[in-house]
Amino acid sequence: MSAVLAAILPVLAAVVLMLVNGVVLIYMLRKVLGHLHLRYGPLNVGPKGIVQTTADVLKLLSKEDVTPTGVDRWMYRLAPAVVFIPSLMAYAAIPFSENLRITALETGLLFTFAVLSLVALGIIMAGWGSANKWSLIGSMRAAAQTIAYEVPLLLSVLPVVMVVGSLDLAEIVQAQSGTWFGVIPKWFVFAQFPAFLIFLVAALAELNQTPFDMSEAESELVAGFATEYSSMKFGMLFLAEFSNSFIMSAIAVSVFFGGWSLPWVPDSVIAPIAPVIFVLKTYVVIFFLMWIRGTFPRVRIDQLMTLGWKWLIPISLGWIMLTGLVLKLGELGGAS
Amino acid sequence: MLPDATAIDKALAAIGSAEVATTTLGLEVRVEAGEILAALEALKGGQHDFPMMVDLFGIDTGEAVDIVYHLRSLSRDEDIYVRCALPYKGELNSVWNLYPAALLPERETAELFGLTLAGHPNPKRLLTIEGIEPLLLKSVPIRTVEEVRDR
Amino acid sequence: MSELHDTTYEPGLLAEGTFDPGEKPAGIKRIPRGVEHLATEHLVVNVGPQHPSTHGVLRLLLELDGETVVNAEVVVGYLHRGIEKLGEHRRYHQLGTLMDRGDYMSGIHAELAAAMAVEQMMETEVPAKAQWLRVLMSEINRIASHMVWFGTFGLDCGAMGQFLYAMRDREALVDVLEAVTGQRMMFNYVRPGGVLADLTPEADSAIRTFLRTIDGYLDEHDALLGGNEILQIRVKGIGTLDRETAVAFGLTGANLRGSGLGYDVRRDRPYAAYPELEFDVPVGTTGDAWDRYTVRMGEMRQAVRMIRQCIDGMPEGDVMAKVPKVLRPPAGESYACVESSRGELGVHLVSDGSDMPYRFRYRPPSLYSLQALEEILPGRMFADAMMLIGSIDIVLGEIDR
Repeated sequence: MSAVLAAILPVLAAVVLMLVNGVVLIYMLRKVLGHLHLRYGPLNVGPKGIVQTTADVLKLLSKEDVTPTGVDRWMYRLAPAVVFIPSLMAYAAIPFSENLRITALETGLLFTFAVLSLVALGIIMAGWGSANKWSLIGSMRAAAQTIAYEVPLLLSVLPVVMVVGSLDLAEIVQAQSGTWFGVIPKWFVFAQFPAFLIFLVAALAELNQTPFDMSEAESELVAGFATEYSSMKFGMLFLAEFSNSFIMSAIAVSVFFGGWSLPWVPDSVIAPIAPVIFVLKTYVVIFFLMWIRGTFPRVRIDQLMTLGWKWLIPISLGWIMLTGLVLKLGELGGAS
Repeated sequence: MLPDATAIDKALAAIGSAEVATTTLGLEVRVEAGEILAALEALKGGQHDFPMMVDLFGIDTGEAVDIVYHLRSLSRDEDIYVRCALPYKGELNSVWNLYPAALLPERETAELFGLTLAGHPNPKRLLTIEGIEPLLLKSVPIRTVEEVRDR
Repeated sequence: MSELHDTTYEPGLLAEGTFDPGEKPAGIKRIPRGVEHLATEHLVVNVGPQHPSTHGVLRLLLELDGETVVNAEVVVGYLHRGIEKLGEHRRYHQLGTLMDRGDYMSGIHAELAAAMAVEQMMETEVPAKAQWLRVLMSEINRIASHMVWFGTFGLDCGAMGQFLYAMRDREALVDVLEAVTGQRMMFNYVRPGGVLADLTPEADSAIRTFLRTIDGYLDEHDALLGGNEILQIRVKGIGTLDRETAVAFGLTGANLRGSGLGYDVRRDRPYAAYPELEFDVPVGTTGDAWDRYTVRMGEMRQAVRMIRQCIDGMPEGDVMAKVPKVLRPPAGESYACVESSRGELGVHLVSDGSDMPYRFRYRPPSLYSLQALEEILPGRMFADAMMLIGSIDIVLGEIDR
């Protein structure tokens, strides 16, 4: 009994976390974009409009679920699940603190990226199954984009993995504790700044976020792959998008910003509030993504491809070589 | 603003039906419908140089549909109006080869004056759907909704 | 559902005609099973009339090869109200009301063209103050209209913030227009013989307040959108219209000036109080979308300059000439054109001596800009198509009339 409960509880926790996160993030997006755009965002439902998203979720749940004629029924129905489930799975390896994580995976980093890349499959299914031209174009763009940016995304975290010598996210976080000269935290964002930039650009593309929101570019493709979806099917697609941006930000925090640790403070002191620190850091990264979303225009699909294949991949390969060289030289220097 | 009438007259000497006159509007040239292409060609190129078609529209004069071609020379900032009369339900010859600017206004004029369009790459209706009467003809009255219903 | 249709459907105008909705656009055909049947085909997409970036009710049929536009056709007419026909059944001073509903973004210019065409026939002498007020209101309206263009241009390429920043500035101007004319959009302010009303002290101070902030705001707009690298790579070099093409398609206004031809009705055929004002005419070089962007941004700065001159140099006097209650121009024709926000807006009037025009022709600059769209779209990417619609700045109200 307890074994079953122990297996189910983390999954339930992940589901609850994902739903709550979605609601909070949508509210945050509206408020952040609102204030960036000289308006207020939601105001009336609840104090400062905080219940607005909840009301919207209820509205989505109570809406008629329309299945247009002519759709590929199985593809159309499965697609939201195929988008939603990998997004849920990706919570498994996120280290909220030293002990608080759903599973301790040795290959946590690789697992998260692998699972997230499945989202593109769902988007393609949604686009093809909808029998809508906008959806089709949007999903084809998503496919091209995901294939192109998967590579630099993984290559960008490789130098960090080389330095740490592990794919375990918790170990990567632990490797970042302490400071240089007592001032600069040993976060990889400083030591691996080019890698971080590549990661940021590739993550934006992978998340379908402005300036790379090709698959749902609302001024071109109306609503992209989600055009024909209504009710909670649309809700799931929408929620998965926010959940993905949380996961990507969580990875950025773990890999580049020292995870749950705080600089200049010993880990033992902050241990009780470590998950809070982690989530807060993640929200700061998400805020940054939203800031970009509220400001930037969108690139064109061919420019996106050029950037990915001709710039990001060669640069990240070069950076990997440089990191390897420095590591080897340090090893030799240490040996002699 | 006003082009030299004698020079225009000379340029259009080859076109037999051309009559040059100065009115309240400016310099007007009236030609036969059959010779409109030749007249526009003579005016467009060469020293007269009216490369721009400002406007093309029709006027229902009561006896015929007058098509007005409003041309402009940008280098000298002069305007000239070329007119030709078409019978009702007549054929409007497209001048889009000379002036691509005429593409849409020709479709509009043909539709709103009940003319057929000849030599046009896309001779569809522009503003209204099939079954609407040529609205700008004087014989087509404005009706209220009730009048349309009881018709 | 079908029952509902049967009971409420009124045949109306379509009763006698046989309504044919035309050929259905090709849908996605399911490719037959088996690899040997795999083939590529062109996709015909129907952009509009309800689409986020068609600026009204423009419908665009695009034939796509992947992401590249192979063929384009514009379909208009969804907003046709027969303004030209209605004009033949209105008295001369009522034309302004119709003109407002044509180019609804720059109503003052449209009214001004109609008023000038009537004044030409009547040979009315317009008081100096009215002329200055016409210029002042025209330029305020021009900035307000360009702000909408600027905002939607940002929206077209996905930058949502710019739209709301532009709306902030437009709001200040629309408030001024409301204070002077009583309306936010359909002004009916310029009448044959003058203008409706003088500036109120509140409007005057509102304009001065606006002038204090606008320079900074324009710089901000330029930095936020125009200074953005992504926008620059998006618009530089797309939709190039060289001089000959621009002239051949009858383009006017910023679209023509972007192609390097500095023709401006305000300068070359001065009307109202423009001869007394100092201003430059911004001109582009290559005629691509970026040039059209910079020309419009420059126009806004010039408009601010002109508003300053108008506010400082406004003469005293009447705002309306003595004109009869019912205008009966002598038989004849007249053509008056103004530089509206979109180009040369002309009104051609034919009078038969009665109190209503015999023929009333509205020359819409957007109609001529729209033709060039079919020319510049093929060969561009699908995403460029939206930028190009934005860059030629059309208003469907005046295309369909």
